[in-house]
Order: sequence, then C-alpha cells, then structure tokens
Amino acid sequence: MMVPDGILCSKSHEYLLENQDGNYNIGLTDYAVEQLGDIVFIELPEIGTIFTKGEVFATVESVKAASEIYMPVSGKVVAVNDKLAESPEILNDSPYEDGWLIKVEAENALADSGDLLEYDDYKDEIE
Amino acid sequence: MGKKTVFYEKHKLLGAKIVEFGGWDMPVQYSSIIAEHKAVRNSAGLFDVSHMGQVFVSGNDALKFLQKIVPQDIFKLALHKAIYCQLTMKNGALVDDLIIYRLDEKKYLIIVNASNIDKDYGWFIKNKNELDVSIENNSDEYAMIALQGPNAYKILINAGIQVNDQPEFFTIKELSLKNIPVYLSRTGYTGEDGFELIVKNEYALKLWDILFEAGEEYNLLPIGLGARDSLRLEAALMLYGNDLNENTTPVEAGLKWSIPSDKAEDYNGKKVIKEQIQNGTDKTLIGFEMTDRAIPRHEYEIYYKGEPAGVVTSGGYAPTLGKNIGMGYVDTKYNITLDSEIQIMVRNKLYKAKVVKRPFVHKHYKK
Repeated sequence: MMVPDGILCSKSHEYLLENQDGNYNIGLTDYAVEQLGDIVFIELPEIGTIFTKGEVFATVESVKAASEIYMPVSGKVVAVNDKLAESPEILNDSPYEDGWLIKVEAENALADSGDLLEYDDYKDEIE
Repeated sequence: MGKKTVFYEKHKLLGAKIVEFGGWDMPVQYSSIIAEHKAVRNSAGLFDVSHMGQVFVSGNDALKFLQKIVPQDIFKLALHKAIYCQLTMKNGALVDDLIIYRLDEKKYLIIVNASNIDKDYGWFIKNKNELDVSIENNSDEYAMIALQGPNAYKILINAGIQVNDQPEFFTIKELSLKNIPVYLSRTGYTGEDGFELIVKNEYALKLWDILFEAGEEYNLLPIGLGARDSLRLEAALMLYGNDLNENTTPVEAGLKWSIPSDKAEDYNGKKVIKEQIQNGTDKTLIGFEMTDRAIPRHEYEIYYKGEPAGVVTSGGYAPTLGKNIGMGYVDTKYNITLDSEIQIMVRNKLYKAKVVKRPFVHKHYKK
C-alpha cells in the first residue's frame, strides 16, 4: 500500500491530505479499511455542507456493521466521491487515491489538525 | 476474553480476525466475508462451529422427556434422523431452537446454541422431574466442523467417505474417518447441501486437516462467522438472540410449518401455540428487500405508511443477490403481506423496502 507523503491521521482512522489547490482530501486509512473488511455501502454528505471538527460526515458500512466517520478538521464539502456509490469496494482497494471520501475547504486546517498524527506515529499508536 | 475452541490457534495461523460471540472467541473472517460467502455458494467452505453445544439424552423415558419440551413430534423421528425443534416455555415463547438427532432406540443428541448451553441444560434438568432419563452436557468434550457447499459431498469422497456411505438430508451416521470416530450429519446453516461433523476434541485438529486437504482441489476455504451470518440470512434461517428470543413464539416466527397439528402429548406451551395457530398472533415475521439504497440492521425500526409498525431482527448485504435484505417482526394489524411497501428507519431517515418471500435465496439441499 502506497501511503502518500504528508497525510495526517486521526485516532478514529480518518486521514487528511492537502491538495495542490489548497483544499483537503478526507478519507479512511488503510488500517481502517482493512479492519472494516468488505465495504458494501457508503453514505456521503451533500456538497456545500459545513461540518465542524469531530462531527459525523459519512457512514461506511461493511458486511458486518455500519461505522460513522468523523471530520478530522472543520470545513465545507466542495466535492464528494460519487464513484463510491456504485462501487464501494474502491475504498478497500485504494483508500488514499481512488477511494477518497470528500474534498473540503478548510480554512482552519492548520489549527484544527494539532491532534492529528503523522502516518508513522499513527501506526505506532494503533499497534 | 471468551472461551476458545480447540481450533483457536489454527484460526490465528490462517489469518483470522477474532471476535467475541456468545462468550466465545471466534473467527469472524479469514480473508473476506464476501469471498467466503461466495465460496460456500459456489464450491465449499469449512466452519468451526465448536461453540455449539452437544447434550446427550438417553434412557427409558428419553422420548417422553423430549415430547414434553418441544412442540415437534419426536415419536415420529426415525432412527438416525434429525429434526429442527424449538425449546418452548409454558407461554409458548422460546428458550432456544435446536436440532435433535436420534442416535439409537433410546438415545438422542441435541445441538444447542453456543450462548444458551448453560441455560438449556438448566432447563432440561428442570423439566426432567421423575423421568428415567440421563441428560449429559458434553459440549466441552466435542468439537464440531461444518462442511458446506455444492462440492461438500465430493470433498467427503476425497476424504474417504463414498457417496453411498454419506448420510441423506437430515440424517446422522456414526462412522470412522481414517480411524477417527465421527458423528456425520447432513445438516447445516447455509441453505446449501453440506455436512456437520461432531468429533471428540482430541481428534478435531486431525479431522480439520484431513478435510482441508481433501478440499484442496475444490478451493475449500475456511469460513468465519461473518459469512455464516450472511449465508443463513439469505436462507432465512433463524438466529436465536436476533430473530428468536424469550418474547417470541414459533408461530410468530413463521415456524408453524415445523409444528405438527396432531401431536397427542402435551408439551410446554401447547395451549398458547395451538391457540395462536388457530386465531393468529399480534406480530409476525416478514422478509424484505430494500428498494432504496440503505442497509437494514438488527433493531432498526420498520414503518408502514408512515407509522412505526415493527422492528428489524436481522439484516444486511446479501452477497449472492447483490441486494440489501432483512427480516423482522411487524404488527399484524397492518396486514402487511407479500409485495407490501414498507420503510426502514436508517439513521433517522426512512428508506423504502418491499416484503418478499423467504428464503431470499433458493435452498440447494440434496433431498
């Protein structure tokens, strides 16, 4: 699994990745999708919705259970990954590239991300 | 930490994720629930079901005892046959659901649910009274393996049990497989043809390896509880604790087919059950598939025409169908029937579903 440079991870297994345009991708870490197993349904928010850090913005359902996904930072949704509706398994196959969940505009990302961990530290934390 | 079956270390070696279920540490999946599910539908899978309990009932009054505790007519159970039964209380509700095998003239084997072993055994003892019957809970001495799927019988041939020596549907045989004494029955919990093998703990690992090797050419996979649940849901087989409990009668649960109308003897709950068969019940089990995109889950609410009408007891994604399906109880006053449109409350929103026939997937038993 190729983990992109510069991602920040929450202890609830969401990641935050800054794009070149200054917006951020939010998704689930490889560890999270591995733990969930086969993902069969993903419910994503509407574009334009504003969430604060810690709010539930999506639900990811595996065969076993439904899991709520939390905002790692506050922000406004500017894009959602529509492909996941038809093919939720993309999230299992490619959590960091094709399987991103939403893109957000997050003005306070820097301040909000203080409690997020770099990938290596995150890995240490969960193991 | 829960109890461990004799296969626990093997599961870990096979890469299983372990979860607690009914007081046991069990594999929930090895590779992928969907892949395991499809392996059983298309070829074969091997399950550790050693958490299930084995209670042996024998003696001059064994039949009399069994006749008292289940609505089914055990008098008609021929030698070596099996029957699906419910353990009922005086009010008709369920202590557990069971398979009873007749091993001998006066000897029976009862398979009980893992989480109910102690409760059921206590219930048996309480109902024994003055009867001349020996009741032995030997659950800790036995392991149990399920071999399920259309290629299961071929794998048994590879393991050395020819077709003619294999038991027929809902029949049990005592035999020796490469010098291992096993109870081999043609039963299961998947809706597929298949077998369950009950074996003393000391032979269990060897038996698992024999079956695994025999299954290699059919890509036999180990199957976890995740796929066990999705397989049984597609086959609309009941799960005690979800679809059945101490507040539910077999009539409400749609198990009327299993209850004979002409059983002479009295049994626990007979009055209530007879009355319900005659006059109907306040709630009834339905099966449904989602027409909107949402996954129904245990304890979600069922709505009918905007009103709360019941509750989902089992639900999830059905890999064979590529649909989301569920079962649950609805109030009979709404007259919800086949093709009725209902709604399921998922995260505070209502999603449409349609009542459909159970089982959701055709059963492929070899009868």
